[in-house]
Amino acid sequence: MTITLNLNGKPTDLDVKTNYTLQEALQFKLGLTGAKHMCNKGVCGSCTVIKDGRAVLSCQILAVECDGSTVETVEGIAAQPKWKPLLDAYCKWDAMQCGYCTPGFVVSAKALLDSNPHPTEDECKEALAGNICICGTYPRHAQAILDAALVMND
Amino acid sequence: MADLVGVNGQRTEFRVVGKPNLPGKASMSLATGVAKFGIDYVLPDMLHAKFLRSPYANAKIISMDISRAKALPGVADIVTWEDPELKNLGGSPMGGPPSRPYLDNYADQDGMEVGCIVVAEDEDIAEEALRLILQDTKWEVYDAVVDPNKGRVEGSPIVRQVRYTSFDMFSSVKPENQKGNVNFATTVQGDVDEGFKQADHIIEYEVDLPAFCGHIPNPPSSVAWWTKEPYRDGEWLHVEGAVQRRDSVGRMYGVSDNRTVQEGIFQGGKYCDWGMRKSQEITPLLAKRTGRPVRCAQEREDTFDFLMNERFINMKIGFTNEGLITAIDDFSIADGGIQGSSSFGTANDQGYGPYYTTRCLNIRQQMEIVDTNTGKMYLSGQHCPFNWDTLTVGLHIIAEKLNKDVIDIAKMNLHGPDSQEDPRVVPSFEACIETGKKLMNWEWHQAGAKRLPDGRLHGASFRYQICPRHAFSGYDCQLEYRGGKIHLPTQGPITGIFAVECNAMIIAEELNVEYDDVIVDYDWRNKFTPVGGGSDGTTASGWAMKECCAKLKKMILEQAVKEAENPPAGGMFSFGPPQPNPLKGYTVDELDIAHKPLAEPKPVPAPPGGPGGFGGPGGPGGFGGPPAPVMEPVVYVKADPSLFKTLSSAVTETLVANFSGRPPAAIWSLGMGKMLDTMNTAYCEVAVDEETGVVEILRFGVVADPGKVIRPTSLESQIDQVMYFSQGCQLFEEFIYDDATGLRLNNNMIEYKKPTVMDVPRVDKHFEETRSGNAVYGASGVSHSMANTHLVICAIYNATGVWVQPPATPDKVLAALGKI
Repeated sequence: MTITLNLNGKPTDLDVKTNYTLQEALQFKLGLTGAKHMCNKGVCGSCTVIKDGRAVLSCQILAVECDGSTVETVEGIAAQPKWKPLLDAYCKWDAMQCGYCTPGFVVSAKALLDSNPHPTEDECKEALAGNICICGTYPRHAQAILDAALVMND
Repeated sequence: MADLVGVNGQRTEFRVVGKPNLPGKASMSLATGVAKFGIDYVLPDMLHAKFLRSPYANAKIISMDISRAKALPGVADIVTWEDPELKNLGGSPMGGPPSRPYLDNYADQDGMEVGCIVVAEDEDIAEEALRLILQDTKWEVYDAVVDPNKGRVEGSPIVRQVRYTSFDMFSSVKPENQKGNVNFATTVQGDVDEGFKQADHIIEYEVDLPAFCGHIPNPPSSVAWWTKEPYRDGEWLHVEGAVQRRDSVGRMYGVSDNRTVQEGIFQGGKYCDWGMRKSQEITPLLAKRTGRPVRCAQEREDTFDFLMNERFINMKIGFTNEGLITAIDDFSIADGGIQGSSSFGTANDQGYGPYYTTRCLNIRQQMEIVDTNTGKMYLSGQHCPFNWDTLTVGLHIIAEKLNKDVIDIAKMNLHGPDSQEDPRVVPSFEACIETGKKLMNWEWHQAGAKRLPDGRLHGASFRYQICPRHAFSGYDCQLEYRGGKIHLPTQGPITGIFAVECNAMIIAEELNVEYDDVIVDYDWRNKFTPVGGGSDGTTASGWAMKECCAKLKKMILEQAVKEAENPPAGGMFSFGPPQPNPLKGYTVDELDIAHKPLAEPKPVPAPPGGPGGFGGPGGPGGFGGPPAPVMEPVVYVKADPSLFKTLSSAVTETLVANFSGRPPAAIWSLGMGKMLDTMNTAYCEVAVDEETGVVEILRFGVVADPGKVIRPTSLESQIDQVMYFSQGCQLFEEFIYDDATGLRLNNNMIEYKKPTVMDVPRVDKHFEETRSGNAVYGASGVSHSMANTHLVICAIYNATGVWVQPPATPDKVLAALGKI
C-alpha cells in the first residue's frame, strides 16, 4: 500500500506492507535509523517520533495509519539549525552513554520545548517519563534540556 | 622511555584531564540517530533470519518436518541442526568438530535457539514459517528446575538431559566435582573452627542475592554479506553488529582478520556482558548459502540474560566484643544456570570475594552450584561487586548487636594496604569515609531509633568496595601528527564509557594541545582499542597512550628543529626566501609545545633580501595590519616564549608514533583482592512507611577514589548508572518463573521493570584522588565496583530492624513487619 507522509518537511511516498509499524517503515523503507527498535511494546520510548505535533511511539503505530500525517524524526530535528543548541547540550552534558536510546529522548525533549519553551526540571522529567535509558543517564537529560532552553530563549 | 614505576608520572598540573563537559567525539552521531548499531543496518536485497526458539524450559526435538515451512512463499532457506554446515560451525581451527554443537536439538531454557533457522524475504514470513515448524515438531519434554534449592536435593529432576563437555571461558567450575545437578566448590583459608572458638559472639543469617538482568539496550543483531574484489583473490566477509568480535566471527568462517570488514563502531551497552549471541554469528553462513545479505535480529524478549544469577547464602560470622571478625563461614547455593553459563557468578566469586579484605584469616566458602533451567549469564564481571554484600549485611548486624557505628566496624576489620596481616590503615579508604561522613551528615543510629518529621522511619547504610583493575591485556597505540593536528586511529568501539575520549584528553594533556586538536579516526582496520574491561581498561589504555604521546612529542620537537635548520620547500604559491624561523638555532630540549602562544610574538630579523616578519603566527598578517590571532598550538622557545611558530608551520612533515604495552599489573589482581590501593564507599538513606510498606530512597551518597579522575562527566554518569542498577535490583526488578513448567514469565519491559527518570533518587558524589592506582596518572577504575544488592536493604534494616530479601516491594516489607 502506498502512503504519503509529510516527513521532516518533505512530501514522501512510501510503499509499505499493511502490518508495518511506522518504525519499520522508517527503517526498512527509508533507511532512517533514528527511531530505534528496542522494546517493540510501547514501553521504552526509543522509537519516539513527532506525529502531527505530538510525541508518539512509532513501534505502536501502523505506517498506514500515518497516511497524510506530518511526521518529524530526530533526523529532521537535527537538520534544523534552531535545534542545534539542544543537540549541543546533549553532547556537552553526556546525556547518553551507549547512545542507543538517545534519539528517542531528543525527540521527546524537542516536543517538550515546542510546547513549553521554559520548562522546569520537574517538567523535563515528566516529559521524559516514557523514555527508558538502561545506562541510567536520567539526570543528564534535564540538565541538557534546561541548558538548551536557556540558549534558545536568549 | 616507558615509565616503569607504575603511575605513569606524577604530573601535578592538569589542563585538560579532569575537565568537565568536553563533548564525546561521536556524541553528535548518537544524539541525531546517525549512529548505526547492528540492528539498524538495512541492505538492498536483504533477507531476514530467525531462530526457532524453544517453547519449553527443558526439551529435546524428536522429529521436525520443515516441508510445509519450506514451501511457504518467501522462504529462502531453512537450516536444521542436522545440516553438516551447521554441525561443523565453530569447530577448532585445525579442522576438528566443535566440542559443543553450534545449534542442537536440545534446549535447557525456554526461548533458547534450537533446531533450525529460517531465512525469508521478511521477518513476518520467517515467523510464519517458524509457526508451521513448531506445529510440525515433536518434542520430548523433561521436568524443569528453576529453583536451585529444589534442584540440589536428591531425587530432583535431572536438569541436563544432554551434557556437553565444552570448556567455557573463565570457568572455575571443576567437572570432577559434579554430582547429579550439583557442582561442589570449596575454598578454605585458616582454621574456621578455631576462629569461632576465639569469638565472643556468633551470628548466623541468610542473604538472597537476587538474579538481575542487564538486557543490552540494542537487541543483539547482525547483517552479513560476502563480496569478491576485482583483481583480488578470495572473498571478503562484511559483518555488521559483531563490533568488537568482528575478527572472531571471521575466524569462525575461515576468513582472515584483514578480510573481515566492518563499518560499524557502535556496540551499545554491554554492562560486562561481553558474550556474543548466535544472532551475531550466524549471518555469514546464511549469506553464503543464499548469496544475499542476511540480517538476524533478536527481539527484546530474547535478550533477558543474567548480569547476576541468584544465590542463597547462609552466613555464619564469629566476632569479638570489640567487633573484630574471627571467623567467616559462607555456605552458598548458587544458580549455575544453563550450560555454558559463566562461572563469574559461582566458583569465580570465591576468589574475588569481600572476605579477604578483612583481617580475619579464618575463612571457609562452600558452594553448591546447581544446574537449572533459569537462564544464562554469558560473562558478567558485574557479579564480583554485586556478591560483596554478604559481608556488608554482616557488618550491619555486628554494628546493631554491639551498638556501634557500622563504619567503625568496617574500619576495624579492614586490613592494611598490603596484606591481611598488615596493621596499617588504608589511605584511600580513610579519605573516602572522612569525606563520606561529611557528605551524608553521617550519624549512625540503632535500628528503628529515628523517625522523620513526616512520621516515616529513617534508615542509613554504608558499604565499601575495592576499585577494580584487571587490565591484563596490552594496548597497541598509534598516533599520527598531520598538519598541526594529532590523529588517533582506533577501531573503537563506542560502548558508552567514553574510553576513546579519555585517551583523547590524555593526548591533549601530554602534547599540550586542545582537546579539539585531537582528531579521532575510527576505522575497523586500526589496531588500537581502549577497551579491556570497563573504566579500568580505559585508564590502562591511557597509560599506554601516554607513553605513545611521549614518543610523538619527541618526534615533533626533533622535526621542528630539523625544519628550522633546513626549511622544507615551500608550497605551490610560495615565492622568495622562506620566512625567518624563530626556532632556528635551538635544540629539542630548549623547545616545547603549547596549546596557544604564551607571549606576544617577537619580530625576527629578516634574512638578507627577504621580507621581515613576526616569528610567531606564520600565518597571514594582512597588509599593514597586525598579525591574525593564532588559533592553533605552537612550538616555542622555553627560555623566551615570544619566540614561537604555529605547530602546523613548525612541523610540516607527517609523523607517526607507536607504543605497545600495558601498565604494571595492579596489586589487586596480583593479590586476588587481598591487597588494597584504591577504594570506594557508598551510602544510602531511606524512609520507610510502616503503613504502606513503601520504601523511598532519600538519597545515595558515593565517595570514591578512582585514583585520578580523567573525564568527570562520564564518571559521574557511570556512578549514577551503577546506583540505579542497584536500586532496581533491590526495589523492583525480579525474574518470575512458572515453577511447574520452568517458563520465564516476564521477559519484557512492562513486567520486568527498569527504573525510569521518575523512579531514580538523588546520587550525591565526591571523588578523592589519591593517585594510587596502577594506570595513567595513578588512576584505576571505579564505577561498576559499586554495584550492590543490599545497600538499600541494609538501610531498610536500619530503619525497621527487620530484614527484607530483595526486591523490597511493599508487600514484602509489610510481611517482614508482620502487618500482612
